Amino acid sequence: MGRADEHSGQATVEAVAGIATLLLAALLCFQLLATGYTATIADGAAAAGAVALVRGEPVEPAVLEALPGWARDRVSVSRVGMMVKVRLRPPSPFSSLSDRLTVSAEAGGKPG
Amino acid sequence: MSRRILVAPVAGTGGSDRLAAERVLRESADGVGVIVEIGRERPRPASLLAPEEAKSLEASLAQSMPGVVAKARGRLVYASVRDEDELAEEISRICDLADRQPVAVIASGDSYRGLLELGWDQVLISSDRSREAESEVQTDPLTELIAEEAGHFATDVEIVDQTAGQGRLLSRLASRRGQATPLVLGGVFLLVLGAMAVVAISGAVTGKAKAQRTADLAAMSAVGSMKDDLPRLLAPPRLPNGLPNPAHMPKPVYLNRARLAAIQVAVINGADPLAVTVRFPDSHSYAPVRARVSIATSVRTGSSGGGHRAPPNWAEARISFPISMGGVPAMASGGGYAGPLADRQGQGMRPDVAAAFDLMAVAAGAAGVTLTINSAFRSDAEQAVLFAANPDPTWVAPPGQSLHRCATELDLGPDSAYGWLAANAGRFGFVQRYSWEAWHYGFVAGPAPCSDAGNSVGIGGADRSAALSRSVPPFTPGWVRPLVLRAAMKWNVSAALLAAQLFAESSFDPNAGNGIAFGIAAFTPAAAAEYGLEDPFDPAAAIMAQAHLMSDLLKQFGSPALALAAYNAGPGAVGSCNCIPDYPETQAYVAKILAMLGGMGAISPLGMEIELVK
Repeated sequence: MGRADEHSGQATVEAVAGIATLLLAALLCFQLLATGYTATIADGAAAAGAVALVRGEPVEPAVLEALPGWARDRVSVSRVGMMVKVRLRPPSPFSSLSDRLTVSAEAGGKPG
Repeated sequence: MSRRILVAPVAGTGGSDRLAAERVLRESADGVGVIVEIGRERPRPASLLAPEEAKSLEASLAQSMPGVVAKARGRLVYASVRDEDELAEEISRICDLADRQPVAVIASGDSYRGLLELGWDQVLISSDRSREAESEVQTDPLTELIAEEAGHFATDVEIVDQTAGQGRLLSRLASRRGQATPLVLGGVFLLVLGAMAVVAISGAVTGKAKAQRTADLAAMSAVGSMKDDLPRLLAPPRLPNGLPNPAHMPKPVYLNRARLAAIQVAVINGADPLAVTVRFPDSHSYAPVRARVSIATSVRTGSSGGGHRAPPNWAEARISFPISMGGVPAMASGGGYAGPLADRQGQGMRPDVAAAFDLMAVAAGAAGVTLTINSAFRSDAEQAVLFAANPDPTWVAPPGQSLHRCATELDLGPDSAYGWLAANAGRFGFVQRYSWEAWHYGFVAGPAPCSDAGNSVGIGGADRSAALSRSVPPFTPGWVRPLVLRAAMKWNVSAALLAAQLFAESSFDPNAGNGIAFGIAAFTPAAAAEYGLEDPFDPAAAIMAQAHLMSDLLKQFGSPALALAAYNAGPGAVGSCNCIPDYPETQAYVAKILAMLGGMGAISPLGMEIELVK
């Protein structure tokens, strides 16, 4: 018989633990979504940088322009030959976790 | 006196505590006070969220009954009796203390009989030995035996089937208040599942967008290659001495380089090179400026690796030409020169200077150098603005002292052209004015700057005619050249522009006609009537009317690109949006002519941009 069945009617310690579990799960979901969203916008920013490369325009301003405000001080841009590489740290309550979850995106274009 | 209920499990049956809790909470309104739960040896832990009444009873039991361990959990107080020998007495005292507060007494209960003899209002026998068969409930013999025995000590005996309803988890969960754990776990599960679904969906969308971006970048890179190579495509195939021009790039090479650029970029962005197709929609034209890239994708449908074709991602890009070139006024004013201004790359200059620049630009193009004009005529007011921004006479002359007010000075670029200019500008009448300004060239082969003779140079003259003659593109037939020159001089329009336009309209065929427009300059009857052109098949009159019309359109729109678009699509269509209308014919017409002029100094290749069409 399951533990849930044995504790009928006891919304007590389980509730407290449940709230903590919910908060943890919410944090996990937030981190999951934030990292996914960061990967998406990093991809778009890399493409914007590649477009600037093709047009003969400066790459870094184009990348920054393609990012929302919160991401502009969390990004590093590098260019190697025809490739533009964007590394972006997702938002996180823990900075060490943010560093570990850094996403990178690349796009290439013929320099103009 | 509260009711006393005994919950007795048959051996091997679990859940008697759940049954006790459920029953006491359900029937507490009827005065249920004590339940004895048999078969549990360890006391239950206390909970933090128990109500005050339960906590009060917990404290009373702890204080007055050392042999009992009491823990308040929710609305129930569980009391574990340590000494089974004193069970009857302990239960009586617990009942007295509990009054109407629900209590569950936990006892190991080695002997049912001993417990039964204490006397009960109700006995609940918890059993999982009954089985439903064709809607008839069958109870096992042991349970029947216990029930019969209990009947001697209690008036109300009930057998509760613990297995009834098992499997209907959701309904059971819903029927039990306080079941926080399954709800929390379920919520967590759904939350995480939802987040993962969102990430998966956005990942798929991002993947699709990335495939499209690969096509976009490939198309733009192809057009970028075309933009770089356009001056070489437009350079004359042969030098004046008849030898092949090393600066000229044949069209097949031009297109192949663009194709390779597209494939290379598609590959570095993750595409399969065999899936990339590059087409040039205007490849038949004199100077193609469009590229279309499609990238086929296949979707796997099974472990066998088979797949089906998905719609390809495709993109089309083109070279776009500058719409506005500054709107050079027809006549100069506010400076040291008061004559007509010729427009080159959006900058105004004396007509003889413009003619000399045309020749120099053609020669530079043949050598693989593309000249750009950064500044030419500046009125004193414009010079004052510049001087205010940088009041250093070494670099910016004060208003009234700059030679730019004479319309004879050109600030040229790019930096890579300085070497060629230093070596060759003198051949075309230009000198570098100041040793520290590698870009500043003045025209010295005509009248002196800011002189009366300079003001009258725009009216015409043998020298200018000769210079203009050399600026007519080499593809212009000999019999057309004097007609173009005469019209260009009369209406102050670039001879190269008129010649390129005639080539695009009719390939210099004076008898051309398509049912709508007629003659070498493709006049419609309405336009011919407006400009006094009686016979559109008369090339001399038609070219003169063409120059007159283009002069009017250049003044109206201030841009060669818009003037050409208006010539083709009508001033109304252009004026309504101040843009090149989105008619394929008009766009191709403008692109073709401006591309032809790209190597001839009339427009700046640096003003060209790469534009994604689709």
